[in-house]
Amino acid sequence: MIPAAFEYSAPASLDEALALLSAHGDEAKVLAGGQSLLPLMKLRLATPGHLVDLTRIPGLNRIEQDGVPSAGDQRIPVPVASRLQRPMLSIGALTLYCQIEESTLLRQACPLLPQTASAVADVQVRNRGTIGGSLAHADPAGDMAAAALALDATLRAVGPSGERWIPAAEFFTGFFTTALAPDEILVEMRVPVLEGWTTTYRKAAPRASGFAIAGVAVCLRKGPDETCQEIRIGVTGVTERPFRAHAVEDALRGKPLVASVIEEAAEAVAEGVWIAEDVRASAAYRAHLARIYASRAIQGARDADTPGGLSTGL
Amino acid sequence: MVPLNGTYLHARVAPRAVGTSKTRQRTRGESPVISAERPQGTSVGKSVRSHEAPRHASGRGHFVDDYRLPGMLHAAVLRSPHPHARIVGFDVTEALGLPGMVAVLTPDDVRSMSRPFAPGRYAAGLRTPVPEYASAVDKVRYVGEPVAAVAARDAATAEDALDRIVVEYEPLPPVVGTSEAMRRDAPLLYEELGTNVPWRGAVSYGDVDAAFREAELVVRDRLKMHRYSSVPLETFACIASADPTNATLTVWVNAQVPDVIDDALREGLGLRDVRIIIPDIGGGFGQKIHLIRKYVLITALLSLKTSRPVKWVEDRSGHMMAGGHACAQEWDVEAAVQRDGTVLGLRVRETDDVGGSISTLTIHFTNKLNNLFNTYTTQHLSLEGSSVVTNKCPVVPNRGIGKPGMCFVWERTMDRVAQTLGMSPVEVRTVNLIPSDQFPYQTPNGNIYDSGDYAGMLRRAMERIGYEELREEQARLREQGRCLGVGLAVAVEPGGRNAARDLALFPGIKGVSGSGGVNGATIRLERSGMVTLLLGSPNCGQSHETTTSQIVGDVLGLSPDRISVISPFDSEVAPWGSAAANSGNNFHLYDIGAAHDAARKLRERILTLAGHLLNTDPEDLVLEDGAVSRRSRGTPDQDGVGPSHAPSPHSPTPRLTFAELGRVAYGNQALLPKGFEPGLQETSYYTFPHAEPFVVPDEQGRVRAQFTFSAAVHIAVVEVDPATGEVEVQRYLIVSDNGTIINPSVVDGQIYGSAAHGISVALGEAFVYDEDGRLLTLTLTDYGKSTALETPRIEVEHRPMPSPFTTLGQKAAGEGAAIPSPAAIASAVEDALQPFGVRVRELPLTPEAIWRLIGSSAR
Repeated sequence: MIPAAFEYSAPASLDEALALLSAHGDEAKVLAGGQSLLPLMKLRLATPGHLVDLTRIPGLNRIEQDGVPSAGDQRIPVPVASRLQRPMLSIGALTLYCQIEESTLLRQACPLLPQTASAVADVQVRNRGTIGGSLAHADPAGDMAAAALALDATLRAVGPSGERWIPAAEFFTGFFTTALAPDEILVEMRVPVLEGWTTTYRKAAPRASGFAIAGVAVCLRKGPDETCQEIRIGVTGVTERPFRAHAVEDALRGKPLVASVIEEAAEAVAEGVWIAEDVRASAAYRAHLARIYASRAIQGARDADTPGGLSTGL
Repeated sequence: MVPLNGTYLHARVAPRAVGTSKTRQRTRGESPVISAERPQGTSVGKSVRSHEAPRHASGRGHFVDDYRLPGMLHAAVLRSPHPHARIVGFDVTEALGLPGMVAVLTPDDVRSMSRPFAPGRYAAGLRTPVPEYASAVDKVRYVGEPVAAVAARDAATAEDALDRIVVEYEPLPPVVGTSEAMRRDAPLLYEELGTNVPWRGAVSYGDVDAAFREAELVVRDRLKMHRYSSVPLETFACIASADPTNATLTVWVNAQVPDVIDDALREGLGLRDVRIIIPDIGGGFGQKIHLIRKYVLITALLSLKTSRPVKWVEDRSGHMMAGGHACAQEWDVEAAVQRDGTVLGLRVRETDDVGGSISTLTIHFTNKLNNLFNTYTTQHLSLEGSSVVTNKCPVVPNRGIGKPGMCFVWERTMDRVAQTLGMSPVEVRTVNLIPSDQFPYQTPNGNIYDSGDYAGMLRRAMERIGYEELREEQARLREQGRCLGVGLAVAVEPGGRNAARDLALFPGIKGVSGSGGVNGATIRLERSGMVTLLLGSPNCGQSHETTTSQIVGDVLGLSPDRISVISPFDSEVAPWGSAAANSGNNFHLYDIGAAHDAARKLRERILTLAGHLLNTDPEDLVLEDGAVSRRSRGTPDQDGVGPSHAPSPHSPTPRLTFAELGRVAYGNQALLPKGFEPGLQETSYYTFPHAEPFVVPDEQGRVRAQFTFSAAVHIAVVEVDPATGEVEVQRYLIVSDNGTIINPSVVDGQIYGSAAHGISVALGEAFVYDEDGRLLTLTLTDYGKSTALETPRIEVEHRPMPSPFTTLGQKAAGEGAAIPSPAAIASAVEDALQPFGVRVRELPLTPEAIWRLIGSSAR
């Protein structure tokens, strides 16, 4: 359990990092906390020849609201559409789980992220693991991916030919694979401020510190009379990649949020999806758990009494 | 017997059991035990500051991997990727070409440089000898079996080299399950044996057939336990340093039992001069007794081949694959039962899946002799066994070995009897428990239970948990569709190994190669006045240093922190014998016995010398605070309670400090009494003084498998989520009798750890193989070990019943709660799911397993 030999660089700028990625091609791998990559390297399931450590690049570790400047931050243009539509939050790719968990801003403006971050592994992992690392690693059971999907997040990638914005819904393309090109680096996630939404993340895991067998993140906006006005559901752990449970969302929109309706809608959570099977859960049990946890997560969001949003004075 | 309810026993309690008390009769004449020279201090019974904890908490412990020798190479082991294959070709050219590579150990080297292991005690049933080398030499029989090893300048290079060794295998069909292995046409793991069932045998006590004829009904069940282990934090580690010029070999190894390593090296390598150093061990639990010898031998061979010291540290995956698993066991159980709940007899047929080695063929079976009748008065019992080899990791001892299985059989059966008769599980057990006035109690298979009050413990447990209220709560919650369950298990925890036990199984074996057990301790009052204690056993984290320093401190009137306990264990220095083992719950009996005896002898010598120097009758002297002084007039006879011998402030009492005595004993001949041998050092070797009868099996196969019997009642309160099968352990209570408690923190630590393990075993941890014989659980994540986050708070209440047989009344505490806890959890989950009519017959109770149980009962 000693990794194969590799080179290590810790560039001080994004440009330098991009140059290293281009120079080393397939041999290069980005290190952004190492909580997933290093175990794989120790098992020699991954044998990158060159690690590019992003942790020394300034400006990648930050949590802020649109337009609120933060020391040391290089202002980056925001897509016009999102700037016009609603207030946004920007989370740098190198932000640690523990920072997300403890962020006062996020707890108020986007509680789903702290809720999800606190469900990740154990304290040691949360002290080292980064949100960008987690998303780019694209573990099929990654917790943050479910949240990114439910939040309809947008992800900013920077490559040799500039930057581009990738919607979370298009980011996770398969088993440990994303829409990122090998020479691109994920630098930022943007999520909307959740004014009037309630959220939950519920996760079935055999051990508190374990990967999700099924994890469900929910963003819910209730209409009058406890009906479902809008809902977005991100699901992880169930198939080869995290996904949006559109069938459940469609079945609930406009419906009363009563247990029977939610349970029935949740039945569709894994419909038409290939269900993973491993030593922790058979496909049948995993699909069952996805349905139960979807139903419970939706009910949890319904019952959550602290809707997100920005209180005045923030 | 009068239990000392809820209080820790202090040293003074034990003498009460021996001395003038008329209330109880001792079962023996001679008393090596507490006498007039009993401990005078009072540190026994207190959670004194740990000797070991400061060094471990501050990172100053010394583990094998912390040692570095000049010129040391690093080894890596090449493991079989196949569950079953023949080795047909071997090419190491490319590996040897790697810069930094020094040597490769091939199967041919192993065959030519070493001899196969002798079968040993764990394979006592093997009739046809099968040579087993340190690594596979012709066939591989499990994934992870060592086939070669390399030594290189560093560990990374060694690991790189493994990829460059070419082994040509001819894969053979894997035999994964026991029923598959027992089929007539099954591929054979050992062609020379002609079968995959190298051992079948039986023991029978009483008249089992008559019991079944007499019984009013028969309760039957089929039960199973799975493969698990303790996955110690520190994996196997070894440094071997061969000196070819002197034909000597020194090894540093984290082995629990030095004689296993000693035998393996002397017999395997033909060396006479072998020295074994055992530093701190990061957890043993039985894992580091047996299979570790293979790797010590491999490392030693690499050192012999290179003439350089070689270090090998096992990695986690290697440990999961090949470090040894507890045996998967299956039982057909029949109980002969009366309508009042009395279990007249038990008939058990057991099948053990021993994995891909014959070297531990019968341990899980023979260990059931230790708690064969558990806490019950049943007089008729037969146990029939088959050991089946399969293409899985070999089985090894693990915390209790077969005892958790035997307890599971008994306790599941008791619940089943209760259900069949419509009785409460508490009532059924109460009917069958050995009454407290029957101790010492002889079980039909020859064990002699020293002390106990099982019914009293059970009553207390019920009271403390609030059993009746829980039943009411359960009924209320059931109306809301919620599943609360209360489970129960009662168990003995045997302590102190008898090496002759296994002979009970094999009437064909003549002669006794060993019986009882021996271990020693050496104590010395140094020239400086410090006291040094040298134990005969290594220490794998159970605070042996702390515990023994309290005991000898009390004997010598010295605070435990003024006693230095020597670490590491060194086979050329330690006074060790066959019981020098972190296994068999040996410490409380052999090590404590030896340390106490040695301290008593030293005390005599100190008194003799001091009496001479102070011109006082030794009878009039007291030892206190590291000094000897004349007993002040008017002080009542010491009762061991608190200090009462302080010299009067008005009349200065003649007094000699230990340092003054040390200077005389080691340096001033003129002051020594006539005939007094200089120096103040004593060694004692302890054997259990009450080992007869049945220290060796009699003609009925009766043998004392172990010598002391702790006991516990475990109550688990769980809530099961019927939708997902998830279990929450809401309360876990243990009422425990570990005899006289020397250090409450240490004993509680043992109980917490062993309970946490057993609960985790019941609820999820497991080694899982696929149908092709590949291990799927190679990491701790997949293995499903509980962390502190899942472990419930464990409530412990002590009801110590001192053993009349041991030095201070102490009994065992190491294996402890790992024996009944799997059964208690099974009982609780079954109780929770009573509305579904679910029967729990096997472990682990993962959420999915429970979900399936509920689903199958609903269909």
